Amino acid sequence: MNLPDLATQILYGRLGWAIVVATLVCALWRRSAPMSRIALLAVVAASLAAMCLPGELAPGWWLGLAFQYPSGLLVGCCLLRLSERWHGIRRSQVMPQALAGVLAVSGTLLYLDAMGVLARGFYYVGFGPAAVPVMAILAALGCVLAIVRGQARGPAASLLGAVMLFSLLRLPTGNLWDALLDPLLWGWAVVTLLAGALRRTGRRASDRAAEPVGGIERDTVPAPIMRPVAAEHFSSLKE
Amino acid sequence: MENPQIPRPRPRNLVLLGCILLVLLVIGAEALRWTRNAHAAAKPSLSAPGAAGPVTLTELSTTHIPAPHGMPSAHASTLTPLPGNRMLAFWWAGSRESGPDVKVFASTWANGAWSAPWVVASRESLGAELGYGVRRIGNPVAWTDRNGKIHLYVVATGLGGWAAARIAHIVSQDGGASFHVRRVLPTSPLFNTSALVRTAPLALNDGGWWLPVYFEIGNKYPMLMAFDADGNPTSLARIGQSTSTLQPAIVAVSQTEVRAVMRDDSDQRRMQHASSVDGGASWQDLPALDLPNHNTSMAALRLPGGQFLMLHNHAADDASARSVLRLSISQDMRSWRTVADVAKGKVGDEFSYPTMQLVGDELHITYTWQRQAIAHHRYRITPGGTI
Repeated sequence: MNLPDLATQILYGRLGWAIVVATLVCALWRRSAPMSRIALLAVVAASLAAMCLPGELAPGWWLGLAFQYPSGLLVGCCLLRLSERWHGIRRSQVMPQALAGVLAVSGTLLYLDAMGVLARGFYYVGFGPAAVPVMAILAALGCVLAIVRGQARGPAASLLGAVMLFSLLRLPTGNLWDALLDPLLWGWAVVTLLAGALRRTGRRASDRAAEPVGGIERDTVPAPIMRPVAAEHFSSLKE
Repeated sequence: MENPQIPRPRPRNLVLLGCILLVLLVIGAEALRWTRNAHAAAKPSLSAPGAAGPVTLTELSTTHIPAPHGMPSAHASTLTPLPGNRMLAFWWAGSRESGPDVKVFASTWANGAWSAPWVVASRESLGAELGYGVRRIGNPVAWTDRNGKIHLYVVATGLGGWAAARIAHIVSQDGGASFHVRRVLPTSPLFNTSALVRTAPLALNDGGWWLPVYFEIGNKYPMLMAFDADGNPTSLARIGQSTSTLQPAIVAVSQTEVRAVMRDDSDQRRMQHASSVDGGASWQDLPALDLPNHNTSMAALRLPGGQFLMLHNHAADDASARSVLRLSISQDMRSWRTVADVAKGKVGDEFSYPTMQLVGDELHITYTWQRQAIAHHRYRITPGGTI
């Protein structure tokens, strides 16, 4: 078990929460008015400045009280989302359905185990002296392969960043699972999956409604040019 | 004339090169750490062998540790030895349990008397060193390592009640005069919450120790965190499969066999019991002991002669859950005989959260007295007799 120094953890906590808070503030930005780069920079700078305030004045004081540290992957995903905003990308690729599925399932197992329901000791494996280095190296190789092949580059880069942070500095806690997952990221993954499921259900329903019944068109009026509302891009919490 | 052009690297090649470098960094860091960490797991250490057979316990004194001024509530004491047959006691005190003014206090036992108490940890002091807030302070557990450093584990909650508890590891290099935070122990993936300490650590043969820990959101289960001789955590594991036991008191039976007796939160209301025969690597739940336990904490230790002592609440028909504090002895950690009732009151009285410490040939006992003070009893252990 190798654990990070407290000073490094404090620095990481302040920086990590600053990035997460900036991403949340950007997500609340009016969708009708695109966010300018200056506004984005201002939000990030204000968030960083707020984290430098002393003691209870810093949001990090209260976020640490409640959540301790964000996982490296959550920070990576938030950085990626901020980068998408910087480049004006509205349709986020930060949390693809495959990644959301893996995070949701592994998080559910991990948290059920931590609550004493499963008693398999999954969390303790995250400190393993032999298993953890192997898992970290395999994860890094997998990320690099995805980046080089151009598959899900953004999420792969986020994951690689989290693995690097863990392997080099053992941040945030010294446990591999804490680098890859936290309950906030798990919630994001679950919301993404639910949103995807709702979107698919809505699309199927609208497809059925548009199908001809008994060979006769339901509506003789030409189909509207606009797509049905249910098939529009669903806005997730972090956008 | 031909125009020589310097070949420019393609972006794709740069990405590939960067990726290879990052992977090499990961492999290098992990390999370096792995070679440094490769060592065998330590085994529990047995106390220095003494004369086997019956012993006599003679009570030498009964007193209360001096209470800090203006702190009417006191609970959860812990003891740790110091050089020269001295001893340190830690406990929390404040206006009430979970109150914002609760702090961890310490007092030194030397030359047959307790010193005036002093503050060693508060939510303000922990928050200032951790960089984030601490809402309330709870149980302390102390350990003196072979270099004389005192390691104090303090329950410090996040947002919520005791279910949001974390364990702060603070260390003193000056005999307990001052403490500094080393870290918050990582024990759970749920925002690192719901891990508490209460019972005394167990020594390992490499100078390290085991810290008993427990989880308590909904289900309650015991855990064990191992530390090396420098006080760095080396492993974390769950004790047994139970979901209604907590506050494990761990005793080494041999260098490979370890037993844990545990507080019972189930309807069974018996003292729960688990065993490890591979030096703590894996644990099996055993049938409950034939001792009542109405959700109260206990302390256990192994005497140099090989017997086991346990200090526990005895809930009989004429007593409530915590109104009798009993000292029992066993040869095998299964069958227990009563030695004495250390404290006995009327229904509703509370003598709870006991701790034991051997200092020389003296057995020191502290426990919570009516939630108002920490009581201290001192016994001399002499070979021979009927116990």
